[in-house]
Amino acid sequence: MSDNQTPATQADSAIDNATEHTTHFGFKQVDKGQKASLVANVFDSVAAKYDVMNDLMSMGVHRLWKRFTIDCSGVRAGNKVLDIAGGTGDLTAKFSRLVGPTGRVTLADINLSMLKVGRDKLRDRGLVSNIDYVQADAEALPFPDNHFDVVTMAFGLRNVTEKQNALNSIYRVLKPGGRLLVLEFSKPTSEQLSKLYDMYSFHILPKMGQLVANDAESYQYLAESIRMHPDQETLKGMFEQAGFEQCDYQNLTGGIVALHRGYKF
Amino acid sequence: MPTSALITATVESVINKLLSLDEDSEARLKALNGARLTAFVSPLPYGITLSFSDRVDVLSEQGSFDDVVASLGPKDCCIKTSLQTLPELKETSQLTRLIQQKALFLEGELNVAQQVSALFQQLDIDIEELLAQKTNDVIAHQTLKTVKTVHEKSMSALASMAKVFGNAVVEEKQLAAHKLAVMHFSDEVNALRDRAESADARLRRLEEKFK
Repeated sequence: MSDNQTPATQADSAIDNATEHTTHFGFKQVDKGQKASLVANVFDSVAAKYDVMNDLMSMGVHRLWKRFTIDCSGVRAGNKVLDIAGGTGDLTAKFSRLVGPTGRVTLADINLSMLKVGRDKLRDRGLVSNIDYVQADAEALPFPDNHFDVVTMAFGLRNVTEKQNALNSIYRVLKPGGRLLVLEFSKPTSEQLSKLYDMYSFHILPKMGQLVANDAESYQYLAESIRMHPDQETLKGMFEQAGFEQCDYQNLTGGIVALHRGYKF
Repeated sequence: MPTSALITATVESVINKLLSLDEDSEARLKALNGARLTAFVSPLPYGITLSFSDRVDVLSEQGSFDDVVASLGPKDCCIKTSLQTLPELKETSQLTRLIQQKALFLEGELNVAQQVSALFQQLDIDIEELLAQKTNDVIAHQTLKTVKTVHEKSMSALASMAKVFGNAVVEEKQLAAHKLAVMHFSDEVNALRDRAESADARLRRLEEKFK
């Protein structure tokens, strides 16, 4: 620290320094190194009841959001698809059939419990021939450059510590001409819907989590992490910063969820 | 809520349910493994893609007809037509005429379109057998027999009602003209139109003469 700094600048710099090393975990500020393990704890806890809870929380609408994502993916037979934070394999199952025997789908998730649930589910459905399972951190994807035709990430980006790093990493592994689709909770476009949604998220959701999954805290984190996630325009800016072109987004269910799309040329 | 996703989800589950009820459809579906058929049917706002594997996946197509044609694979087919033309596609002999009339645009593998048509047209679902599995043979047989009788009787009653109503309107209440009278009237109108056109032509010729 230089001698000519005023106490105010010293305080500012200390705050900057602290901000640099911390990140949000829901509404809490935690050390950046801690977030991944805290998120892992959440998903270890909810993995077994993940599908049931998704259906209950969204009243089944999450299936339509995911289906719309697949419609927008433009996946063709023979394509290589990466489904990051693929969890229990909802998108992977359909991609596996769409790419056929000449294509491949990689289901990647940082959380081993989720990956195991996904793998068991897909195997039970007889989907085995063209799917790879990889435990991977979205910020440092263990794949070669220009490898995938399509990358999708459904309800995973908000749990990543450094979102920009993840987008940069995805850009690297996408082939030129490939596209990224990020389906994520976002900001409702109407004030009234926003109030209603807040009431649902902070009062009903944790109770539902307690009742079904015996875990109110994880669902409290879910609600908080959604509020801390960048809004539609900010995320679009982050896509552009990573190098994606023709970036756009589509609000679904009044902006509760948004589907962001970007191409690598 | 994405409406297109709701529609495709419903169509997909109906198609796969129907196919599962016909054991013979498995062989026809196997022949289509890896194929895709995209159909743009106006006035529907987006295309629908059927992707075939051990089941049928239904997707809404976000690109245009040209976009899809540009990315067609060796086992893909894309058609563009209208809702009115759709029933005519059952007759394969009509395809050439429809293409020439630009009522149907077809790109890619024609075989795929024909196999998809066969997949659905040859569906043979034994409803009585399915019902018998849930109830028993007697109930299933009686139910189907009743449904058939009710259907035949309702159709016959409808036809008879239409006849009675037609007679009442034309003969008794004289609210509408008889079919023959309408045809005669139409002929007279046509003849009058011809005479008017002929007079108009003669008038024009006379005008030319006096100019």
